[in-house]
Amino acid sequence: MVEMSRRKFMAAVAASAGAGMVASPARSADAAVEVSSPWGSDKPFQKVVDAFNAKKLGVTVTNRFDGDYEAAVAKAVASTAAGRPPAMMITGWKFGYFAKRTLGARDLREIDAGRAAAILANFRPSVLPLVTIDGALIGLPWAMSTPITFINGKLWEEAGLDPALPENPDTTWLYDNARKLDAKLKDKHSTYRSALALSNNEWTSQSFVQNAGGYIIDPDGRLALNSPQAVAGMTEYCAPAHEGLWLPVSAKDQDAAFESGALAICTTSSTRAATFPFGGAKAVTAKFPGLAGHPRGMNSGGNFLAVYARNKEQAEASLAFLEFCASKEGQSIWSAVGYLNTSVHDIPLINDFMKPAAGQLADGLTAETIWPGKRGLEGQAIWRKWVSRMLLKEVSVADGMKSAHQELDALVSA
Amino acid sequence: MPSGFRRLAPYLFVGPAVLSVAIFLYGPLFASALLSVLDWNLLSAEVRFVGVDNYSAILDNVDFRTAAWNTVLYCVILIPAQIILPLLLAVMIHAVRRSPVQGLYRGSLFLPTILAYSVAGVAWSWLLNPVNGLFNEIFGFFGFPKSRWHTDPDLALLCVCLVTFWKTFGLNMLLWLAALANLPHELREASQLDGAGPRRHFFTISLPLMTPTAFFISVTTLFHVLDDIVGVIDVLTHGGPAGRSSSLLYFLWQQGLQFFQFGPASAVAVIIIVVVLVVTWLEFRVGEKRVHYG
Repeated sequence: MVEMSRRKFMAAVAASAGAGMVASPARSADAAVEVSSPWGSDKPFQKVVDAFNAKKLGVTVTNRFDGDYEAAVAKAVASTAAGRPPAMMITGWKFGYFAKRTLGARDLREIDAGRAAAILANFRPSVLPLVTIDGALIGLPWAMSTPITFINGKLWEEAGLDPALPENPDTTWLYDNARKLDAKLKDKHSTYRSALALSNNEWTSQSFVQNAGGYIIDPDGRLALNSPQAVAGMTEYCAPAHEGLWLPVSAKDQDAAFESGALAICTTSSTRAATFPFGGAKAVTAKFPGLAGHPRGMNSGGNFLAVYARNKEQAEASLAFLEFCASKEGQSIWSAVGYLNTSVHDIPLINDFMKPAAGQLADGLTAETIWPGKRGLEGQAIWRKWVSRMLLKEVSVADGMKSAHQELDALVSA
Repeated sequence: MPSGFRRLAPYLFVGPAVLSVAIFLYGPLFASALLSVLDWNLLSAEVRFVGVDNYSAILDNVDFRTAAWNTVLYCVILIPAQIILPLLLAVMIHAVRRSPVQGLYRGSLFLPTILAYSVAGVAWSWLLNPVNGLFNEIFGFFGFPKSRWHTDPDLALLCVCLVTFWKTFGLNMLLWLAALANLPHELREASQLDGAGPRRHFFTISLPLMTPTAFFISVTTLFHVLDDIVGVIDVLTHGGPAGRSSSLLYFLWQQGLQFFQFGPASAVAVIIIVVVLVVTWLEFRVGEKRVHYG
């Protein structure tokens, strides 16, 4: 047995500890940043986190799955009230005002103006207004999608329709083809049940309003639902439902019907381009339909990656993670999920079915509606309620838009 | 045992239970009542006393009134259904109590109760999918017109009732079965000797002897109905179309955890608490007199 004095033992321990510190950064001394996110460990966001942590930059990021946007925000409210706000959170765009005014999302420039400018230089200037609330830059434009048109390739072919899709389809073309397809296949096909679905929600209806030259909320921040353009857009949106071409159902039911070959055409989030073309529907894609004779004015949806940490060390550590997220490496890993590339990096599309979405991004996208006011988060639900009522013909489009305007005006000004 | 410990012992034993009730039951009740008269987002330093403003705003809200009316309809449909149909099923299962299939019937009828709402919701949305759901396919096969089911404003509430009933009747059925199993066998034999038929035996002997169970079920079914429909609404209709299947508790959840309007949400919570207290008090007042405790 080798004898060792206490002094030698202590020296050996100190030497090995020192060597360990030189060989790799001390993980226990890393700044820890927890990101509240709507994605679990099986999603590409986890890969972004893992790739960042593998760099051992002295910041350890943990991805905490907190459910959907509402659930994550509810947890953030509770933890902020308890004095422990999340360091970072992936926040739905519709929560923009709430994130800034209530949860206290940090202005990245206030944490470190130089680093914030360098981070944001990685993104297209056109998307920066989407993350600018009350003049503050409250995060990275992280996930962005836009509604596009998915067509069941097999049904389209069986109906004898022209496989060459226009680059900029409009509703006249889409509805005519839906009618032809329905006439050809209805009651004669084993899986076909319905021609068209435009998605019964506030998102695609906003696209129609904008494609008709109107606004939900105009650039001056005023509610504009009672404008003739907005009414024209919604009339065109509701037309196929009133005609019987579209049976409005939930997004879940719509996806299930499309994937099973029961639904021929649907307009929904471009993220489906990662799945729909490779399933039973063999979907092909086109841009979202515009309105003939009007310039297109498409919108987007998604979320931003914001910093909520109050203490300086955590806020700066969060910027280190944002730097990675904004880099070409971070964006390349992230792009696998099927969101649009909002960065200036040259990242190939995940497949050709994303081309219409990329085209819409190049044309310019507005944000989904971020309802202002203290009761702003109710806005989406109220608008969705009126969209449903107009689709169901419970009210005429003109009356529905007038009533929606009145109810939302009271809410926005509260 | 030291006398000091002996004096403290009751408090030490009872303390944790009392504390948990105080923190997790009376604490939130008090907090809800307080929040209902405040304008406060829980985070801001600005707290404003608004008196009954949250209550008047809620009572003026057309969506609240729709949700309240829907809740009445849910109770009118589901409470009798949740009491009477499980009793009928329990009587039928009890009638085959000596058969080996009794366990199979009981197990398969109870199975939906232990399913997660998310699973039940997905399964039912496949069945009810208006585009190509199983129900419409069957209707189509037999030449009947197809239905819009839960996306039809006139049927959405009934679809929620159907799924809620399917999901939850099993618990009451088990309670009825337990009550039936506990009925004294001698009374059955005595009534048979006296010439009473099965119907007379059930209504004049079994049912009166099961009134404690009936009373328990009638009181708890109200709470269960109010609670259970929220899970189904959340996975099947989200309160739609256009609020036609919403309920008070779903409206409360939306106000509190979707719109983060804690004052109005707390006002709804207080209204629900008062309504449930009054109804429960009435149930005790009217029902308890008719209970035979053996």
